[in-house]
Amino acid sequence: MATVLGVLSDPKATAAALRSVREAGFDEVDAYSPVPSHEIEEAVARGPSWVRAWTLIGGLAGVCLGYLMTIWMSYDWKMVVGGKPFASIPAYTVIAFEFTILFGGVLTVLGLLVHGLALSKPNGQAYRPAFSSDQFGCLVNCHGDQIARVQELLNQAGCSEVRVVEG
Amino acid sequence: MAAISEAVPQTADQYNEDILAVLKPPSPLYVLAVLGLLGLVGAGVVALAVQTYFGMGVTGLMHPVMWGVYITTFVFWVGIAHAGTLISAILFLFRASWRNAINRGAEAMTVFAVITAGLFPLIHLGRLWKFYYMFPYPNQRGLWTNFKSPLEWDVFAVGTYTIISILFFAVGLIPDVAAARDRVTDWRRHLYGILAMGWRGTSEQWRHHSRAVLHLSGLATPLVLSVHSVVSWDFAVSLVPGWHTTIFAPYFVAGAIFSGMAMVITVLVPVRRAFHLESYIRLEHFDNMGKFIVLTSTIVGYSYAVEFFMAWYSANPYEQMSFWHRAFGDYWWATWIMISCNILVPLPLWIKRVRMHVPTMWVIAIFINLGMWFERFVIITTGLSHEYSPAAWGYYTPSWVELTILAASFAWFLMLFMIFLRLFPVIAIQETKELHYHRAEGH
Repeated sequence: MATVLGVLSDPKATAAALRSVREAGFDEVDAYSPVPSHEIEEAVARGPSWVRAWTLIGGLAGVCLGYLMTIWMSYDWKMVVGGKPFASIPAYTVIAFEFTILFGGVLTVLGLLVHGLALSKPNGQAYRPAFSSDQFGCLVNCHGDQIARVQELLNQAGCSEVRVVEG
Repeated sequence: MAAISEAVPQTADQYNEDILAVLKPPSPLYVLAVLGLLGLVGAGVVALAVQTYFGMGVTGLMHPVMWGVYITTFVFWVGIAHAGTLISAILFLFRASWRNAINRGAEAMTVFAVITAGLFPLIHLGRLWKFYYMFPYPNQRGLWTNFKSPLEWDVFAVGTYTIISILFFAVGLIPDVAAARDRVTDWRRHLYGILAMGWRGTSEQWRHHSRAVLHLSGLATPLVLSVHSVVSWDFAVSLVPGWHTTIFAPYFVAGAIFSGMAMVITVLVPVRRAFHLESYIRLEHFDNMGKFIVLTSTIVGYSYAVEFFMAWYSANPYEQMSFWHRAFGDYWWATWIMISCNILVPLPLWIKRVRMHVPTMWVIAIFINLGMWFERFVIITTGLSHEYSPAAWGYYTPSWVELTILAASFAWFLMLFMIFLRLFPVIAIQETKELHYHRAEGH
């Protein structure tokens, strides 16, 4: 397999370049961008992020843990106050709420670290410091005999520079 | 009056260039300022050591006023923290793009303010080393904390707020730290390299990052409203006249945003001037923050009026006596400082020309900071000093120990902010640059 890099200077053109190579049948694409861009995200078409599942699991775990912890501890060490129930659900809702936010937030960040940083394997060879400043990269994986076609497509899309990174 | 609009950076690279220029080696004046602040923090540490050695008798806390400057300052700093989350999370959800230039500074302020706030309940405990009693942990006494107490809710609320604020701040920093890694050439390159955790700005990374920021904003929005509500319940759930009122939660949240916005202006005006960031922190930002101050000042002013009205309308003699004492009793001076700074001083901000005049905004913001500290002082001390029985009335005067620790808390906060300025981008590069591309596309 080979990797071809095209360099552009704005997100709209990058998204258009990605769409054109995908329409030509090259689905293994990625992009470098100094800013988040919905257009690039849609052009790469990876589907929804798994981070949302982490948030949901964290939030549900938090609310359950908040209520279970407070109720269990109230019965484990009973405090008798005027014959009232040992567990006070309205009071404990505050703790359950805070745990929902805390666990939801912590797991969201864990999800980002796992999917966005640990499992994500950016192409180190293709990266250049300008991609965190004012340039956009369009990465296309293809077979060795398809390099010329990909280069042609990227040139047509307006890339200021096209080069083969691997292969 | 300054020009209505400053020049917008013309190229995307200029954003990196200008914002990362703040990270250049510090001037002698900066080092001197940090050392001066460190000296004040040192004085606070000495005062705390005196208090820890001799006991709480060195403070002015005495029956009936057992909450004084420490709890006042705790509530003040928690309030200050609120503007950062409002700007980062709530305005993000509302797609208010003007926030992009000021959110990083406000978020940093949130983190440092909430860390400062967290110190005060510990200082107030007296026996610092017993602080872990506040957390539920298995112990040989076989007991757990009392979750029905609002003070225990506070532990969880402020603890959650601290952790979520730090996480939100750190997640937003990742792309900018990577940009700094790609530009600096000295030892900091390694530091930024580690903190960027392999960030390359791929579409895959942005996809997860954007989703994480969205979810953290969604979680932080109810959190920011809840934290100061919970802090207000420390008072409202008690039976002290002047405290036991249902208006406290919204009244405290509005006050928190009011004081937080004022602190954002207080801190960002010198930063803007010193680092020539006029193209980024623009007059429109001061205009919008001024509008927030006008809104929240009005809510706070209305709340003051409603408190007095309800005291009269309730026909409850204790409540009436408490509010009479508040306005005309021993602490009349504190109450009138509060009313002047929080209601009268912000009035000129109804005029756009005043909101667009940075030096005037700065002076008004400093008065609001003063007024909001006094608001908490008034609520706490007037409430406690005149409860039900005249035999138990008293007067509270803070001691030098409390006042030194109060001054040290401001020095501590400013010192942390100044160190942050030189280590991390004070303006969110990728978020301001996003606006640059939007403008280029004609949005």
